[in-house]
Amino acid sequence: MTESPLRVDALMREIEGDVLERLRRHVIKRGGASEYQNEAIFEHVRDVLARAADERNLDALLLPELLDGDAEWELQTRLDLSTHRPGLIGGTILWAKRRILLPLTRWLFEYSQDNFRRQHHLNRVLLACIEELAIENARLRRDVSELSKKS
Amino acid sequence: MKLACVVHRFGANIAGGSEGHCRLIAEHLAARHDVTIVTTCAHDHITWKNHYPPGASDVGPLRVLRFPVARERNLHRFMDISDSVFGDRATPEEQEQWFRENGPEAPELLEYLRQHGREYDRVLFWSYRYYDAYFGVPLVADRAVLVPTAEEDPLIHVDALGPLFAQPAGFLYLTPEEAELVGARAPAGKPSAVIGCGLDPAPASLDLSGLDALGLVDPFVLYLGRVDPNKGCEALIRHFVQYAESGRRVQLVMAGPANMPIPEHPLVRPLGFVDEGTRDALLARAHILMMPSPFESLSMVLLEGWNRGLPALVNARCRVLRGQVLRADGGLYYRNGMEFGAALDYLLDHPTESRVLGAQGRAYVDREYRWPTVLARIEKLLAETA
Repeated sequence: MTESPLRVDALMREIEGDVLERLRRHVIKRGGASEYQNEAIFEHVRDVLARAADERNLDALLLPELLDGDAEWELQTRLDLSTHRPGLIGGTILWAKRRILLPLTRWLFEYSQDNFRRQHHLNRVLLACIEELAIENARLRRDVSELSKKS
Repeated sequence: MKLACVVHRFGANIAGGSEGHCRLIAEHLAARHDVTIVTTCAHDHITWKNHYPPGASDVGPLRVLRFPVARERNLHRFMDISDSVFGDRATPEEQEQWFRENGPEAPELLEYLRQHGREYDRVLFWSYRYYDAYFGVPLVADRAVLVPTAEEDPLIHVDALGPLFAQPAGFLYLTPEEAELVGARAPAGKPSAVIGCGLDPAPASLDLSGLDALGLVDPFVLYLGRVDPNKGCEALIRHFVQYAESGRRVQLVMAGPANMPIPEHPLVRPLGFVDEGTRDALLARAHILMMPSPFESLSMVLLEGWNRGLPALVNARCRVLRGQVLRADGGLYYRNGMEFGAALDYLLDHPTESRVLGAQGRAYVDREYRWPTVLARIEKLLAETA
């Protein structure tokens, strides 16, 4: 029986370290970037991407705000049934779309909607990755600029 | 004190987390206080269809007042407005409308609070996301105590919650993570307490013979709860099947009603709904408790597992679960399939360490989640909100 208490954070550091090393070897074996031969570079790349994927609040990103005015970039997962026809004819067409066409094609709609949601999530993670890299770049620029001022 | 506990649905066979939490807390508070449950006639959490008769009844030590739901939930309208609200494109009016569409819309319940709410010393509300809490808290704000049961889902970022969280006299939280999440949106200085939920010590002896007929294989790991994609079960099955393909002979037992197809696999054993006795026996005989949910405000199942000395393997993407495991030193966590496999390997290959992790989990429950401790925290908060 183990006498001293087991610390989960220490155990997890060990497990995460092993997994990271296995992942590095796996990616290299499959022809991944040669830079990954260097453990420190691999770890740094993984940290930057993991920060974007796990720690960034995907609802508070800069790039979507910048994109917002120029283009419709968000996937529209909601189904808006409409018609350009006015009055009774328009109402009848909408009724037929809702009550007849939609139930008939619901499986296709739901299948697509699920995939759209996944794609939307992936888009947001990729936007977060770009932002994380931009932040890293800005930090490096600031550090280089301060160093060149000093020298 | 005269206390009202407002909750969107109430009943002995209602399995929901916040509803069960409300029932347990109310039953224990009733030993010292006059407690009334104010709720709706709904039983089904999807449609909110009226099921129970309206009016007053007694359930054990509790007086229960039920009010009819004015309209059932229209799922298409609800999904549409959810897309708009969570996509950050909704006006304040649309955000408020979201809480009506989410329901259960029970205007008579609000009218009761308006007319009689001040007859209670404190009015406790469960789950900020439902109609009764969102529109009810402002009616009795000076004596309202909100149990938000907030999760890190898109709703928590909606602007309409700022005014809501400014209203109650105090908050009861389930975990420190939830306190941080809601605290960031609530005015500073409001009385609050992190209470979790109370548990009685698990009985020492159990009849495990009921498990013989279930076709279980030793060792098995246990998922207990609704089998649902929103609970992370798709990812759990995917990770587990991938793990099993490595040749490891361990069974995944899933005990709970299924809201999704469970793939046929020789090492995945779905049991469907199980009774209390089977549930306890499964917890007593399992090797590891799996908690794959990405959103939780408190995992009661995790506490029940620790109550039986069971180590846990949880989804690290859920801050609450990861926080619970780290505070308890009661298990491991994973973010992806590789970490899932490595952590599961560790727990299965190190039985002594697994037992220690489970025992540390039980010690954590002893320290934090026994009823006298939990009730003392609630009483202190009720006194502070005077």
